[in-house]
Amino acid sequence: KIKLATTSSSSVASEPEHNTKSRELEEENATKTGAADDEDTGAQVAPIVKLEEVPVTTGEEDEDAILDLKAKLYRFDKEGNQWKERGVGTVKLLKHKESGKVRLVFRQSKTLKICANHLVLPTINVQEHHGNDKSCLWHAADSADGELKDELFCIRFPSVENCKTFKETVEEVAESQGKKEESKDAADAAGLLEKLSVGDGKTEEKEKQAKEVSQTVADKAKEDGEKEDEPASST
Amino acid sequence: MALPNQQTVDYPSFKLVIVGDGGTGKTTFVKRHLTGEFEKKYEPTIGVEVPPLDFFTNCGKIRFYCWDTAGQEKFGGLRDGYYIHGQCAIIMFDVTARLTYKNVPTWHRDLCRVCENIPIVLCGNKVDVKNRQVKAKQVTFHRKKNLQYYEISAKSNYNFEKPFLYLARKLAGDPNLHFVETPALAPPEVPIDLAAQAQHEAELAAAASQPLPDDDDDAFE
Repeated sequence: KIKLATTSSSSVASEPEHNTKSRELEEENATKTGAADDEDTGAQVAPIVKLEEVPVTTGEEDEDAILDLKAKLYRFDKEGNQWKERGVGTVKLLKHKESGKVRLVFRQSKTLKICANHLVLPTINVQEHHGNDKSCLWHAADSADGELKDELFCIRFPSVENCKTFKETVEEVAESQGKKEESKDAADAAGLLEKLSVGDGKTEEKEKQAKEVSQTVADKAKEDGEKEDEPASST
Repeated sequence: MALPNQQTVDYPSFKLVIVGDGGTGKTTFVKRHLTGEFEKKYEPTIGVEVPPLDFFTNCGKIRFYCWDTAGQEKFGGLRDGYYIHGQCAIIMFDVTARLTYKNVPTWHRDLCRVCENIPIVLCGNKVDVKNRQVKAKQVTFHRKKNLQYYEISAKSNYNFEKPFLYLARKLAGDPNLHFVETPALAPPEVPIDLAAQAQHEAELAAAASQPLPDDDDDAFE
């Protein structure tokens, strides 16, 4: 499952869409060197480290890709009030084989680095980008570099169709994740409310607690997986 | 080698010295690798910046400490200090400015005075620009001095990974070394915060009317 991004032939083969104008220019320039792209004209130098081959883990082994498209990703720079490039590569929606959770992963094509990595939550809202029907945007708490950050992302596709496919697939996922969440919430709320009605605590206190419960139900549902199994009919 | 106050890592790391005339795109090239962004605005580097740049390879994770030096003489000084213990280097010039190529031998000489027998890549940057002053066939310095040469464009990302790949292969003595997927770890569960969400929606609405920086260009390589 290892993808090679090292030889020019493999990277060209995996890139059906590209800017013909600038590519032509670049290729013309490359040809003029009269050298193959990777001709080594460098001096013989002694290596300074000995590295052993290690097994490659993509981190995607337990997931199925439900979407896999070439695109360009941008992040919004709030200070400068402008979009900034994040990377050119592939966006994937990956569904976990066991939990059913879906996340969005964007990889830079040549270095295979991660530009975006976040769950597709039921609350995700993919919006149109004014004046550009090949791009759309959304907010996410993202952990591309392992650190959780609030980001506004914009993604641009080579075609209007691909953008539509992306938007619709994310929306479908969000909806299905929402349904899962709802049934979980209902079961959880029922369980918690039942507990509150037991005992002879002060009524006011109970009402306050009930309010808090309803607000934190979404969080609790996630934190406490076993509650999921309690029957909703217990009230 | 990291700066004294920089954290060290438990995987192989290398001191990469990046030199070349001011305005050839050294900082922009490094920034492109760090964040993905392409900075059009020119702000001369003062002294030196040393951002760490990590890559995942089939032989594990490696790091380059990119000693991005001030190209402009007036912001330089301490130059030999930058070169000391350099393990690999990039010499950058701008194919749209002939003088920057003319100055390559000087940069090379200064570098080699301190760093002997290190792998060096010569990069001709800005090859996306139509009106080149230095044509590819006019670039011959690398053949005389046994350097590797790449035509690159920090703007279009053309060959932008090649200098690092070449240096990694030389440093490890492994011509088959290649980049592999950075492991995509499971993202943490984030509780939904309804108050913050309203704010995000407002920010999104504002961002939706801002154009993309490179709307005209359709490269998806």
